[in-house]
Amino acid sequence: MIRFKEGNLRIPKWNRKVFIVAGGTTAYRKYFPEYKLEELVMIAFKNMLEDNDLKMDPLEVKGLINFAAYGEFADHFQDQLLCQAKVHDYLGLDPLYNVGIKTGGATGGSAVLTAAMAIASGYANVALVAGWERMDEVDTRTGNYYIATAACKDFETRLGRIYSSYYAPMANRFAWAFNVSEVTRAKIAVKNHLYAYYSPYAQQPGKYTVEDVLNSPISAYPLRFLECCAMSVGAACVLLCDEETAFKLTDRPCELFICGGTHTLRVADRRPMEVPLLPHETPEMYKDLYGKEGARYPGFESFLASRFAAWLVYRMAGIQNPIEDLDLVELHDAFTISDLQTYGDIGLRPYGQEADYIESGDAYYINPNTGKPGKCPSNLSGGLIGTMHAVGATGIFQAAECLWQLQQKYDKFHGDPKIWKKWGKEKPKDWQSLQIPETAKQALWVSHAGVGSHVTVGILRKAW
Amino acid sequence: MATKKITKKKGTKPEKKKEEKVKFIGKVTKVRQFKPAMVIEWPRTLTHVHTYGMLSPFFEGLRKGELRATRCPNPNCPENGLWIPPRAHCPDCHTEMVWETLPNPVIGKIYTFTEVVYAGAGIELSTPYWQVDVEIPGVVTIPKSYLLYGKPYIGMKVKAEFRTKNPTNTVLDYYWVPYEE
Repeated sequence: MIRFKEGNLRIPKWNRKVFIVAGGTTAYRKYFPEYKLEELVMIAFKNMLEDNDLKMDPLEVKGLINFAAYGEFADHFQDQLLCQAKVHDYLGLDPLYNVGIKTGGATGGSAVLTAAMAIASGYANVALVAGWERMDEVDTRTGNYYIATAACKDFETRLGRIYSSYYAPMANRFAWAFNVSEVTRAKIAVKNHLYAYYSPYAQQPGKYTVEDVLNSPISAYPLRFLECCAMSVGAACVLLCDEETAFKLTDRPCELFICGGTHTLRVADRRPMEVPLLPHETPEMYKDLYGKEGARYPGFESFLASRFAAWLVYRMAGIQNPIEDLDLVELHDAFTISDLQTYGDIGLRPYGQEADYIESGDAYYINPNTGKPGKCPSNLSGGLIGTMHAVGATGIFQAAECLWQLQQKYDKFHGDPKIWKKWGKEKPKDWQSLQIPETAKQALWVSHAGVGSHVTVGILRKAW
Repeated sequence: MATKKITKKKGTKPEKKKEEKVKFIGKVTKVRQFKPAMVIEWPRTLTHVHTYGMLSPFFEGLRKGELRATRCPNPNCPENGLWIPPRAHCPDCHTEMVWETLPNPVIGKIYTFTEVVYAGAGIELSTPYWQVDVEIPGVVTIPKSYLLYGKPYIGMKVKAEFRTKNPTNTVLDYYWVPYEE
């Protein structure tokens, strides 16, 4: 049983406000031999400095940066220790200090958190966050072997050698505990592949049906290939700053709140505990939920790290009820099941009722049940299943997508035929905008590692 | 990118070395492709030397057909259950744990499972196989292992068995089989 003491539950508070003003990205591909890694980061960096309508010359903006946090998941993939130094030099940022951040799939979120701490503390006024992953130096099976070394090497790695086999048992347990059909998971895959279809950056776009998903080959039962993210190459970045600089650079900055949580690397070691309650939850809600034999929280059904990060950040940002207060979420759908599990952790639905977020249509851009806009759409970027999971870049890419949505720039960054052409693609004739309405105020993104070992939950709030 | 020819300056002949020239003793790198960028192969093989440290008794136990767990001996510690995977130190009070051998037959119950169909490089079990997470009475954790034969379901009773002949000296040396009373 994990027992908290008072200090453990202190709500983080910035010493001064932190803002995000710009984002940049490359496209994402399984193989990207055209560019070296640092060249990809440069392309994303230029995209951030040049294409975000900043009110200063790109090189003048660069002249404001005095700290950088870099996200990279695995040295195995890059095959280059101190890759940060190489990238930093290539971007022309020496001798400013930079730190490398590594927290698995949550690397991007952790890099944003690190840079935010630099701004909040006064170490920096303007901080660059950039992340990348080059997963194409090895074949897919070797890539899976590398990733499986992010399971416990003594007690778990040899039992799967692929991460889907660590998520699949959670999917089976979740379906059993909460009576969830495979169709719900398949709908998540259909939705995110479809949203990726409208993104020029997407690696796995597609118009699939639920049947297509369920008929695609099994990786680890019950997870099918179309429910899983892929090996990915690419880079993303965002620019963080203090309040004064934020408004100097843009009329549309977003205020940033972000917190993290961690839990065991091995799912095996999750000991039972009471559910930490979000602001809108009561103990009565969960009175009967864990009545089934062997049922326990978080069990294999939920992620304590995600719940804890949400528990903190909702209080930090004053979120009372996420499904009412948020206008968009970008979740870590490395697998359909991780997406589904997270709906409960971050309180879009109470634990046990996660599937309803999809079935109700709330999670869609257009609710398929009503034909009206979804209440709180999820992963309009195409997510990890549809668009990208170049691991070190992922949590940064998600933040950039949230920013662009709140700034009303979805079309600018997804609908311009020149962007499609830049990445060797043609904009689909039936392209449609997934821009959320101008009344939208707040977006949330989840950056998630391992089987829930590290999770950050970030919130962007319109500041204009 | 434009390339520019560099012309040599006249009269700067390098001195001839008398010593033996440096030889290339590696393996010639293969080029995979020249367009749109030059891509080479970069092969390697490695051996890591890995210690089981204070958890060595667990792996020695498997060789003898024993499942060993650790327990925190601190009477004031809130956690008094057994740990598999074992830990040398209690995460709650940091006391050094003590070893206990679970009496055979060790009977557990399947908490959840998956069939591993597509596995990454280096997999040592023939695919497809059933990976199982098993609850064991008195153990606070739910360790991951595999089912040697049969088809698992949540709640299924299983018995631990051991690969004492030709052990792999890894966690694969114990597994579960269906158990009927």
